[in-house]
Amino acid sequence: MIRDSLRLRLLAGAAVAIFVALALAGAAMGWFFENHIEQREAAALIRHGKLIAGNLRVDAAGKPVLDTEPGDDRYQEAASGLYWQLSNVRGSAHSHSLWDQSLPALADQDRDGWRLRHAPGPFGKTLLIVGRPIQVSHGDEPVLVQVATDDAPLRIARADFNTEIIFSLGILWLFLVTATYVQVGLGLRPLRVVRNQLAALRRNSAARLPATHPREIAPLAEAINALADAREVDLARSRTRAGDLAHSLKTPLAAMSAQSRRAREAGAVEAADGLDQAIVSMRATLETELARARAAAARDAGQSRAADIETLIENIITVVERTEHGERVLFEVSLGEDLDIPVAADDLIELLGALIENASRHARTRVRVTGQMEESAATIRIDDDGPGLGNTSAEAVLARGARLDEAGPGHGLGLAIVNDLMQATDGTILLAASPLGGLQAQLTWPVDPIAPSAHKNWITRWLTRN
Amino acid sequence: MRVLVVEDDPVVGRDLYKALSDVGFTVDLSTDGEDAWFQGEVEDYALAVLDLGLPRLDGLSVLRKWRSAGRTFPVLILSARSDWTEKVEGIQSGADDYLSKPFAMGELVARVRSLVRRAAGHATSAITIGRLALDTARMAATVDGQPVRLSVLEYRLLDLLAHRPGQFVTATEIAEHLHGTAHAGDTNGIEALVLRLRRKVGAGIVESQRNFGYTLAGA
Repeated sequence: MIRDSLRLRLLAGAAVAIFVALALAGAAMGWFFENHIEQREAAALIRHGKLIAGNLRVDAAGKPVLDTEPGDDRYQEAASGLYWQLSNVRGSAHSHSLWDQSLPALADQDRDGWRLRHAPGPFGKTLLIVGRPIQVSHGDEPVLVQVATDDAPLRIARADFNTEIIFSLGILWLFLVTATYVQVGLGLRPLRVVRNQLAALRRNSAARLPATHPREIAPLAEAINALADAREVDLARSRTRAGDLAHSLKTPLAAMSAQSRRAREAGAVEAADGLDQAIVSMRATLETELARARAAAARDAGQSRAADIETLIENIITVVERTEHGERVLFEVSLGEDLDIPVAADDLIELLGALIENASRHARTRVRVTGQMEESAATIRIDDDGPGLGNTSAEAVLARGARLDEAGPGHGLGLAIVNDLMQATDGTILLAASPLGGLQAQLTWPVDPIAPSAHKNWITRWLTRN
Repeated sequence: MRVLVVEDDPVVGRDLYKALSDVGFTVDLSTDGEDAWFQGEVEDYALAVLDLGLPRLDGLSVLRKWRSAGRTFPVLILSARSDWTEKVEGIQSGADDYLSKPFAMGELVARVRSLVRRAAGHATSAITIGRLALDTARMAATVDGQPVRLSVLEYRLLDLLAHRPGQFVTATEIAEHLHGTAHAGDTNGIEALVLRLRRKVGAGIVESQRNFGYTLAGA
């Protein structure tokens, strides 16, 4: 899921990076906090130690004695958590609070200055101890002055601090991830704009992306436009080639017809028949291939609007009116002003040309072309007042193409192209009885189809909207 | 009657030559665009059969040059391409009919005859009614001196109205005239025909009055 979504990838990357950064920051803050409160506690203990050192003397036996005890009541109360102890090789003295216990000895007594350490102490507690050897008078054994406090309050403060910091950093993490989500959405929005514009480009191969993109997206839009240009050139070239191919093959075919006629006149009727059959089948193959080439090109459909469609139909009628069948037929054209057909004009003229010519061939007096938008579809109907389908069902006619295949010889691509072009442009063709009495060919194209991916769940869709 | 055949393929050219000669035409054969252009401008032909894919100058250009030089003989276009874009382009360039290759020679001869008949049928006569002038020989019309390209039915409608000056002609009569008595009841299309005709000749030529029918202005 993450692998195919840019949004999820960016989001996951940011979430992990922010988490690591916040965890490091949290650990550092915890360390600084612990260090700070420990230093403060140590400073208080050292103050006590200095008072004790000031009142310290050594008795005749060389044992350390404290004449005036520090004023803090906790020194008097057993296991209160605040202790002092004086010790040298001859003996030791300590606060009442130590009761019958003693503080652990300092490992390295030779060093000068107050030293801070944590050590397991009496009554099963861990202590924060400061200690310093003091030389009371010259020649005496140095006395080790130690002041200790239970470090449980420190640990509790540290734990409280950690809980709070984890909670706050967690909220900060959520906030930053949300901000990232919004930021990623804003950052990807131009891509969505490009995607919508690409959809428009797909509907109309002549359209291009506008030059109003952010600097980072602009090269992409330009590249897409360049690609569209190149494709259009290729498309035009392939169409021209198809036309050239037709020309290069059809003229020899016409020449072969001439040869066949000559052979027939010379009495070689069987040879002429065989030749004619070959010519008919070659021509049919050629027309089918041309129709396919055109239908393939039509997949990059454009758009035709009412005014253009009307001109196009009038042009077709101008041509059809000159044919033997067309010159006795009345043409009516009526198009809705909002008619919008998702087929490029080049392809639409082939579709409508074939159908209008076919209708005029079967009509008695009238051919009517109507077009309008109906709900979510664009529809064009071509009606004639000819013999119509009779008793044959429309499905059978469409399946066999019987009526459509009645196009006589010499009518070019004729109707072979209609089905291919309708399929290529996502349209449907329906043959029915016309209100005019003849056949009605109805062409329908869905307008603006939407195809949401059904297999993804809603959260994935929501997360991967871009 | 002289016709010009412009075709670069020797086999098809010879075949056309033979087929048209057989039915009584005097045929000139031209095999490239520039020669055809020259021939069409200096000779007086009853008709030209013009292939579109020609060496040196393409068929459509030849046709345009003839038309802009005032040559009005009917032209039947032959083309290997059968798409409608090209058909429309051909007719708009001044062609009178269009046939795609490969074609049946019988159909070509029939179409050539029909075009020649249409163009040369009767003695030249002109009817002028108001701003409209009809050339009954060429079945052509001009409005204010400007030629208007009309379909056969449109021409026949104008012709009918021109022969009944000052009268209103009912839709039923028009339908009968255009389609024969069998389809005289089909008057629905007449209104559409008049609409299309009005678009071509402009307003103020064909007038209509409810329940009476149609007439020409200025008659």
